[in-house]
Amino acid sequence: MYDQEKDQLTLYGRRFTSRLLLGTARYESPQQLLDASLAAEPAMLTVSLRRQLAGANGSGQPFWDLLSQAGRPILPNTAGCLTAQEAITTACMARELFETNLIKLEVIGDEANLQPDPFGLVEAATELVKRGFDVLPYCTEDWVVCRRLLDAGCQALMPWAAPIGTGQGPRNPNAMRELRKRVPNLPLIVDAGIGLPSHACQVMEWGFDAVLVNTAVSRANDPVTMARAFGDAVRAGRQAFLSGPMIVQELALPSTPEFGRPFSTNAVGAGK
Amino acid sequence: MFIIVNGCQQVVPEPPTLEELLSRLSPSTPFAVARNEEFVPAASYNECRISPGDRIEIVHPMAGG
Repeated sequence: MYDQEKDQLTLYGRRFTSRLLLGTARYESPQQLLDASLAAEPAMLTVSLRRQLAGANGSGQPFWDLLSQAGRPILPNTAGCLTAQEAITTACMARELFETNLIKLEVIGDEANLQPDPFGLVEAATELVKRGFDVLPYCTEDWVVCRRLLDAGCQALMPWAAPIGTGQGPRNPNAMRELRKRVPNLPLIVDAGIGLPSHACQVMEWGFDAVLVNTAVSRANDPVTMARAFGDAVRAGRQAFLSGPMIVQELALPSTPEFGRPFSTNAVGAGK
Repeated sequence: MFIIVNGCQQVVPEPPTLEELLSRLSPSTPFAVARNEEFVPAASYNECRISPGDRIEIVHPMAGG
């Protein structure tokens, strides 16, 4: 019997019962975000740092109070940073504000598809690990980049499924599954590009450890129900992975026993 | 002197320290600060001297993915 309490996600020594991480952006109202969080029961809520905008929804003190109300651990990000230096400074500001060493490290290399800059990412990760951060780098599934991030001291990775906010689902399944096989014991959180609960379930079936979603929930017509659906999908995928899926066969194999089939030429049960 | 706060050029009357500048601007709390792309811990505001042309970033918690 599957016991979610015993099957916990461990990130830098912190243990989480949930394997779903939820972004806090693009909801229609603070209450909707709060309700979505209650429905999804996420391991962590991701947040950002921005200049104060007059009248902005989801910022400053009201947003701070909302996070307290949600009562979930916080994972700050360095979203939108274009250089290693910007990301390092943002991470330091986030650590002071949120009082956590955890940082979702983003260094963006292309503003059109928001693809991570592998060079800036490794540079920033190296420095942040030295400064005592627990770095969760948003990366591609490129094995060499992942290896460099591990060499830098990262103890978990956040490979994308597809570009941020696209909802395309896994664009490169073979490479993602290969990455999973190369580091079977490393926490891998699929971040970005997930559009449907079935995408989340799929990558969990492949053995990924967790999924981060934001737009797929917040831009759904009913974000609260979608949040719950993602929670269910992640749990279903995790249980499927742990259950050990069957081996795919080239040819059909009857599931109903052939033995004793009526009208067959094999004599069975006809008496003496 | 001229400084740049959150991308906007501002004329400020010679605030020698970041603490005095923040007292003048009184940003809503909570916030964190960087000067010329380097993080300034809250405990160092009173030691951080502002120079003409400095670029100050004042950031707040906000929704993010």
